[in-house]
Order: sequence, then C-alpha cells, then structure tokens
Amino acid sequence: MRSSTLRLALICVGLFGAVVCALFGYVYWSTASYVRGRSDRAIAAEHVILRQAYDRAGRDGLVATIGQRIAEERFEGGLYLVADASFAPVAGNLKVWPTVLKGSAGWGNFDAPEWKPDAADRPLLRASFETLPEGYHLLVGQDIDDLDEFAEKIEIALSLSILLTFVLGGFTSVFVTRRTIRRIEAINATSRAIMQSGLGQRIPRQGTRDEWDQLAENLNLMLDRIEGLMGEVKQVIDNVAHDLRTPLAHMRGRLEKAYASPRHGEHDQSLIGDTMADLDSVLRMFASLMRISQIEANDRTAAFRAVNLANLAREVVELFDAAAEEKGAHLDVVADQPVLVTGDRDLLFDAVANLVDNAIKHGRDAGQVTVEVAHDKGGAVISIADDGPGIPVKESQQVFKRFYRLERSRRTPGNGLGLSLVAAVARLHGARIEMADNAPGLKFRLVFPLLAGAGLDNSVVR
Amino acid sequence: MARGRRRVLVIEDDPETAEQLVESLATNGYQVDLAVNGNDGLNRGRTCEYTVMTIDRMLPGVDGIAIIRRLREGGVTTPALIISALGEVDDRVRGLRAGGDDYLVKPFAFAELLARVEALARRSATVVKDTVLRVGDLRLDLVSRTVSRGGRDIDLLPREFQVLEYLVRNEGHVVPRAMLLQHVWDLHFDPTTNIIDVYVGRVRRKIDSQQAYPLIHTIRGIGFCIRAPD
Repeated sequence: MRSSTLRLALICVGLFGAVVCALFGYVYWSTASYVRGRSDRAIAAEHVILRQAYDRAGRDGLVATIGQRIAEERFEGGLYLVADASFAPVAGNLKVWPTVLKGSAGWGNFDAPEWKPDAADRPLLRASFETLPEGYHLLVGQDIDDLDEFAEKIEIALSLSILLTFVLGGFTSVFVTRRTIRRIEAINATSRAIMQSGLGQRIPRQGTRDEWDQLAENLNLMLDRIEGLMGEVKQVIDNVAHDLRTPLAHMRGRLEKAYASPRHGEHDQSLIGDTMADLDSVLRMFASLMRISQIEANDRTAAFRAVNLANLAREVVELFDAAAEEKGAHLDVVADQPVLVTGDRDLLFDAVANLVDNAIKHGRDAGQVTVEVAHDKGGAVISIADDGPGIPVKESQQVFKRFYRLERSRRTPGNGLGLSLVAAVARLHGARIEMADNAPGLKFRLVFPLLAGAGLDNSVVR
Repeated sequence: MARGRRRVLVIEDDPETAEQLVESLATNGYQVDLAVNGNDGLNRGRTCEYTVMTIDRMLPGVDGIAIIRRLREGGVTTPALIISALGEVDDRVRGLRAGGDDYLVKPFAFAELLARVEALARRSATVVKDTVLRVGDLRLDLVSRTVSRGGRDIDLLPREFQVLEYLVRNEGHVVPRAMLLQHVWDLHFDPTTNIIDVYVGRVRRKIDSQQAYPLIHTIRGIGFCIRAPD
C-alpha cells in the first residue's frame, strides 16, 4: 500500500463498488416488490369476487362459486378455504386452516403439507383471509413460490455482478498501478543517473504518444534547455576567464617590471595610465555582464513608459554622426511619424546605439547606414541596415551569445557583449529580432508588439 | 582658496574605502568628516553644516537610502551623493527617489567622485546668470547660441553647443563621460561604446584646430575637462 496510485485505485474500486451495490439493491428491491404487489392485487381481486358471492347468496353461494372457479381454473395457482367458526374446513382446495393466520382479517405467508406433496421443498403460499359475518372464515391465496424463485434468481445475478465488479476492479487497479509505477520508475532511474553522472541521460519514451510520453518528452526538452544553458554559462565563464586573463596578465607584467626597475616619473606615469585603462576595460566588461543579467532577470519593467522610437532613432543617429563621419560613412534616419512603444528609454537607446555602432564599425568604409522607424502589420519596427559584408548564415544565431565575435572582427575593439545586450533588451520588451540580408550588407529589425491604442496617436512622447 | 572651508560628510563603513575617500577629498581642499555607521551619519548629517555628503548604500545599522529619507524628512537639504556596490543599477532610481541627488557605482575613479562632489557643491552655491560664458579666448553666447574663438565664429550643431556649454560651466573640473551623457542626452548608463569620445572629439576639432592652445582635454579613463592655460 506504499504506492499512492494503488491506494487511489482501490479507493476508486471501493466507491464504485458501493455505488453498484446500492444500484443493484434498489433494482432488486423494486423488482421484487413490483412482482409481489401484482400477486397481492390478484389475490385481493379474487377475494372481492368471493366476498360478493357470499354477500349475494350466503354460505352455499360462496361454496358453489369456489367450486366453479377451481373447476374453470379462473385464478391460476389459486388457494381457497372456507372454514366454520371452529376452523373446521367446509370447502376449498386446502385441507387445513394454516395456524399462522390469526385474527379476523389480514395477510400471511405459510406452507401446507398437502399442497404439491411431490415437490422437493414445500412451496411458499400467500393468502388474505377474513372472518365472515356468520362466523365462517374465508381464505383466498396463491402459490407464490415462482415469484420467490424469480426474486432469488435476481438476487444471485446481482450478487455475482457485484462480486465480479470488485474482482475486475481489483485486477485493473493492480495492473494500472504496475504500469504507472513502471513509467515513474523509468523517470526516477533517469533522474538518479543524471544526479550521478551528469546531464547526458534522457528518459526513454514508449512511442505511444500518451501523457507519459508527453511528460517524458517535456522533461527531456527541459533537460536539453538546462544542458544548453549550462553549456552557455560554461562558455561565458571560459570567455570571461580568457578575456580577463589578457588585461590582467598585461597589468601584472607591467607592474612586475616597474617594481624591479628604479622609479622614473614620466615612465611611471604612462605605466599607471596604461594599467588604469586595462582595469577600466575589465570593469566595463563586468558592468556589461551585470547589466545583461539584470535585464534578463526582468526586474526593470517598473521603469517602463511610452517611448517614441522615431525621436530615439534621431537622437542615436545624431550621437553617432561624428563616429560615422570619422569612418567616412553616411548615417541616415528615416522616421517620419511618431512610433510609440512601451519600454525603458535608456535600455532601448543602448540597444539601438549598439546596433548602429556595429553597423558603422563592421559596415563598409565610406558605406551607408540607415536607421528606419515605421509601423508594420506586426507592430512597431526599428531597423538598422548597413551595406557591409554581413554575417554568414551559419553564424547568424551565434552572434547573440555572450562574447561571440566573428573571426574577421577579432581585431576591432569590443568585447562581444553588444548583441547579447540587444537580445536581452529585446526579450525584456517582448520584441522580436530579425536579421535579413540587405544585399549587400546586414539589416537588423527589432519588431515591437503594438502598443494598445497608440498606433495612430500623433502626440509626441519622449 | 574659498573652497578650503567647505565641509564634506562621508558616511562609509569600509575602512579602506573611507580612508581613500577622505584622503582624496582632503587633498582637493575639502574639510572631511567621517561617519562609520548609519546612526553616526544620521546625527552628523542633522547638524546641517555640510556642503555635500557621500553616503554608502549598504551600511551596518541603518540603510543608506533610509538615512537620506530621514534627513530629508527632517528638513536637511544637503546635496547627497549615493555610492553603491556594482550591480545595483536599479537602486539608482530608488536612491534618487528617496532624495539622493547623484549616484555613483563602485568601483569608481576618484576623479569621477571629485567631479560629482564638485558639481553638487557648486549646484547649491552658484546660479550662473551670465548670458555669455568665456574660457580663454573662447566665447559662448547663451542667448544667440553662438560660439566664437579669438573673434572667429565657429559653427556648432545644437547638441554640440550643449556639450560645450556643459564643459564650460564646469570649467577647470573633470566632467566624466556618464555625467555628460546624463546632462546633455538625459541617458543614465555607461555607454558600452566609445561614442562620447568620438562626439566630443568632433567638438574639440571644431574648437581647438588651428588655434594657439588647446582648450578641451581628455582625461584618460574618466572624461573631459575644459581649461585655458595658466
């Protein structure tokens, strides 16, 4: 009984059995009383006929009527007895007044030795009786042995059904329990294996597509996701370690050399400056990582308000104008009408700034970068397009991973966190990132869900 | 020097950070009082005689934000700079709502701390009513929004003018990148890109190229400073 499934199944069987018992009991009771009632009504009707005959023609008339009815077999299985005041038989097909029938009128069940003497058991008889005005006793009855037998048969049938219900229910419970326990045990075994030897194990499926298979499939998908995330975390840690080691090694080397050599004002100055710059880059990297994980933890939605993407795009473009100019690139903005989204202006600015920065950095020298804000069927869209070499298709999802850098970009400044930040900001805002071929170049699209009732609003909100 | 008499209250529980704060503020001409826990800070802060106070966000006893709230409730208006550990970016909003005036995240450059304390100190003291600002031979007309140097007009975009105006208003003091971004663009984050340097670089080219001496200086790792040669 340690299995809760078995316990549940047995409780079900018990409840179901009780209901079946009650139902069958009712069927038995109502069938039996219907059959008995019919017999009693027939006896009562016969009684009335005889009583009327007595009232009409007295004792002789009654005796004659009884004889006639027996002869004509008007009342099948009918029992008649007329006895005098001292219960000595006068007429009828019974020989002795049954001792159980006492009083002046009533009903009773009895048996009589002379009735069907060749039967194995004495058949059960039922009669109504009364004391007539002149002291005579009248008994009218019927052999109800058939009815009794019928009721007994029903009783046996119903009892057998109930027994069968319990037996089948019990067997089914055990079967279902075993099956369930087997499936659960498979999951348990996999869990134990995972705890012992790592995330490589998966729960076996039976291929039946039932809810157990669905559970196994979902658990497996969850394990896949966990494994993926663990891999990503490991990758991030490896990358942090790698990206940290370089500036830290520089700093250590520099300090070691300076420690061993005599103090020299100008030289020390530049050494300290370089070391501070290296430290700053390490701190910036940490700040970016913290920022991304904070955004991913979704705890900045409190600062959400309406932000006009058109204004935002113009401000970003204005800020990056100088950077584009330095590279000889053209940076344009197409934002004719206000496009409102709900969001965090700082984060959106940072994300768009990162995309524009990427477009300028990785686009063609003296190329064209266009920032466009528009309404689309799907929602508000801000797109950033360049005409540079683009991103190889097979690396298009990788670029959102932390620290990921394309092979050819190894030498441009940056830490590979920009697009992770963009992805995190997009996720926080429920926005979709699309990467398209700008032929030539790359086009990033951020598609925001529509702001309820703001699509055609012309009021400008910062 | 006039600022020699200005007093700063430092509320900081970490001994090493406290020592560094006190030292760098003292060498820059401030008279510094140190409170090493919340209650001490609260008591000293109530005396109202400070120009600026810096408050650590995490303190034993009373929380830094609670100190500011209680001081503000008690009518103390001393400008407060909140100093917080890395990774509590969202605290910025909470700190400023409680009545803090500026926010600095650990670890920070002391030059940036000084710049922010300076800015807070000046904010309460002086309101510039001049319509013309001058640094060396640079002249900014705040009404006509025009700039000239050595008598020659210089074309600046409106945003470039704002950048220059902010630098000039902080003449002789270091303006950290984040402060510039905050006051000119109303953005509250450290840019992950070097965009501010590029932007200020262009302003500098317009102001300083083919001139006798440079006015705008880059302070490595921190920000910018505008000053005329002595």
